[in-house]
Amino acid sequence: MDTTDFSQHISRRFNEDLERVRNQVLAMGGFVEQQLAKSVSALVEGDSSLGESVARDDFKVNNMEVSIDEECSRILATRAPAAGDLRLIVAIIKAITDLERMGDECEKIGYIGSRLATQERPADKYREVKHLGRVVQDLVHDALDAFARMDAEAALKVARRDRLVDEEYEAIQRQSITFMMEDPRTIRRALDVMWVVRALERIGDHAKNICEYVIYMVHGKDVRHIRIEDVEDALKDGTRP
Amino acid sequence: MDSGFRAWGFALGRVVGVAVLGLLVGWAIGHPWWGLAGALALAALSLWRNLYRLEDWLRHRNRMSPPDAGGLWGDVVSQVSRLHRRKQFHKQRMLALFRELRRSSASMPDGVVVLNAGHEILWFNRKAGELLGLRRKTDFGIPLASLLRLPEFARYLAKGDFSSALRLQRRIGEAVWLEFQAMPYGEGQLVLLVRDVTRQAQLETMRKDFVANASHELRSPLTVIAGYLETLSTEPDLPADLRPPVQEMRRQSERMTAIISDLLELSRLEASDEQVAGTEVDVTALLAVLARDLKTRDGKRHEVAVRVESGDRLRADEGLLHSAFWNLVDNASKYTPAGGRITLRWWVDEDGGHFSVTDTGPGIPPEHLPRLTERFYRVDPGRARDAGGSGLGLAIVRHVLQRHGGELAIRSEAGQGSTFTCHLPASRILRQAVALPDESGYAPGQRA
Repeated sequence: MDTTDFSQHISRRFNEDLERVRNQVLAMGGFVEQQLAKSVSALVEGDSSLGESVARDDFKVNNMEVSIDEECSRILATRAPAAGDLRLIVAIIKAITDLERMGDECEKIGYIGSRLATQERPADKYREVKHLGRVVQDLVHDALDAFARMDAEAALKVARRDRLVDEEYEAIQRQSITFMMEDPRTIRRALDVMWVVRALERIGDHAKNICEYVIYMVHGKDVRHIRIEDVEDALKDGTRP
Repeated sequence: MDSGFRAWGFALGRVVGVAVLGLLVGWAIGHPWWGLAGALALAALSLWRNLYRLEDWLRHRNRMSPPDAGGLWGDVVSQVSRLHRRKQFHKQRMLALFRELRRSSASMPDGVVVLNAGHEILWFNRKAGELLGLRRKTDFGIPLASLLRLPEFARYLAKGDFSSALRLQRRIGEAVWLEFQAMPYGEGQLVLLVRDVTRQAQLETMRKDFVANASHELRSPLTVIAGYLETLSTEPDLPADLRPPVQEMRRQSERMTAIISDLLELSRLEASDEQVAGTEVDVTALLAVLARDLKTRDGKRHEVAVRVESGDRLRADEGLLHSAFWNLVDNASKYTPAGGRITLRWWVDEDGGHFSVTDTGPGIPPEHLPRLTERFYRVDPGRARDAGGSGLGLAIVRHVLQRHGGELAIRSEAGQGSTFTCHLPASRILRQAVALPDESGYAPGQRA
């Protein structure tokens, strides 16, 4: 009787460990979301101190990554998780890498934002960047929601939306080239804006990666480097194309 | 009880009757024991059949009517079905009550979320779902902070101090403001009220913007007026009878300038709730500067004492800190009669750093203390204006301290003098110039 109690105790503690590390990932995700919102806002509103604070706070994202990583290693070493638990840990280890990269991209945007704040603002007041920023923010938000809910269907939908970001990115790129050709004096600023847009596009890709980890976590299927349409088929008939 | 006895007696009688009948039949055919065995076997079979019917009915009792049996079996069946009916009745009543509760909470204008001790969602009403983007089917059992993912909100829950509400933007750049008020109950469970305060937040922003803009607009014309008045008052050709009014106008314009610059400082302070990062401030040196300025300002009217009890430094915005401390020192100098004593003190304990200004002035009656840091609040309107304050000093002090995570405490007794103390959190104290880690919501390795 004592032994059964003991084993229940261990498994409960194990569950708590898993739950805690998952919540830490989501807390980290929340912080990255905030960094993203702040960095885009810093650029669009021309708020240099906000941009600087984003760049300054990036170390917190890095610290979170290290701490969660350590926690995952500890769980792997002491609990030897299997099946779904193992997939959860693997997915977390991968997801925090993507979140950390997102943080780096936010730092970049914040830094460029604070630099551009001192310069003359374009007539459109970075409307396109603002719009793309909004789309990417939604993407990250929904990807993390899918992670929190372990919702593979939602994850698939979000992953599909990444294409919108790519299209938007192309459009802004073409527009910037037009601006540069019209007025070479804007080249410097346009290049900076390109960096920002590129960073946003990368963040979208990282969000898509997180969605793939959610699918992996729930279905146990590796859906990386596959076209989205094929992913749906793969999930339906249960084989990897 | 009585009918139970009768049923048992009846059942016993029946078994005995069957046994006797079996014996008799056996006797007639020459094998009495076989007859008895056959009769008992038949009795056992009928017992089994009844048991089977009872079990079958209990298993499907929602779809089947109770079996028709007499005697002891009928008793058992009727008792069980009575229990079942009573349970159904209570269940229906609970369900109806629950449905009413759910319906009434759905019509509430505020969102309600019930969290367990692990801050996981137990239940929420429709409005909370709308405001926070929660989904009814999937989101029960998920920690709320994991779905909201607002660092400030996570900090609010983790801190466990629910004496005040938390107001924050749902998303940065999005004009929706939410106010959270948690109320603990039971063993660590929480009821969380969520309100949409966008409208109030907008009004407040408008008010702040208005004050800031109005002050800004007033400043330019006032600068011109003050400039001319200054030239005029030093003009040697000014007729003697005009000199006093011009002097008075100049004094008043200086006061207006002071008020407007205080208003502007206050609106700058109010523009953000974020904690200032700050740099290392040498409090000892700051106090020396304050004491020197105080002495030059009021000559030898007061006795000034400085008690520095710690060499620890403070991580703060030096400009803001100076402005807050100076306001306190300046007040003490204004309200303390000549010959009084003003003491500046700085000390550090485990709660943090403390700066206090003690005077031997007339003191403040207790009914004024709670409202003292409101803008333009005057204990004695007539006298305060003579002293030439803007009426905004303590409001500025309070805001500066808020931005540093500290607070202002006022202790005063009429006739005994007053003590204004600035409490600053321990996280901002730099003991012997050893830097503490940045105070952020997240400490690596911290257990939730």
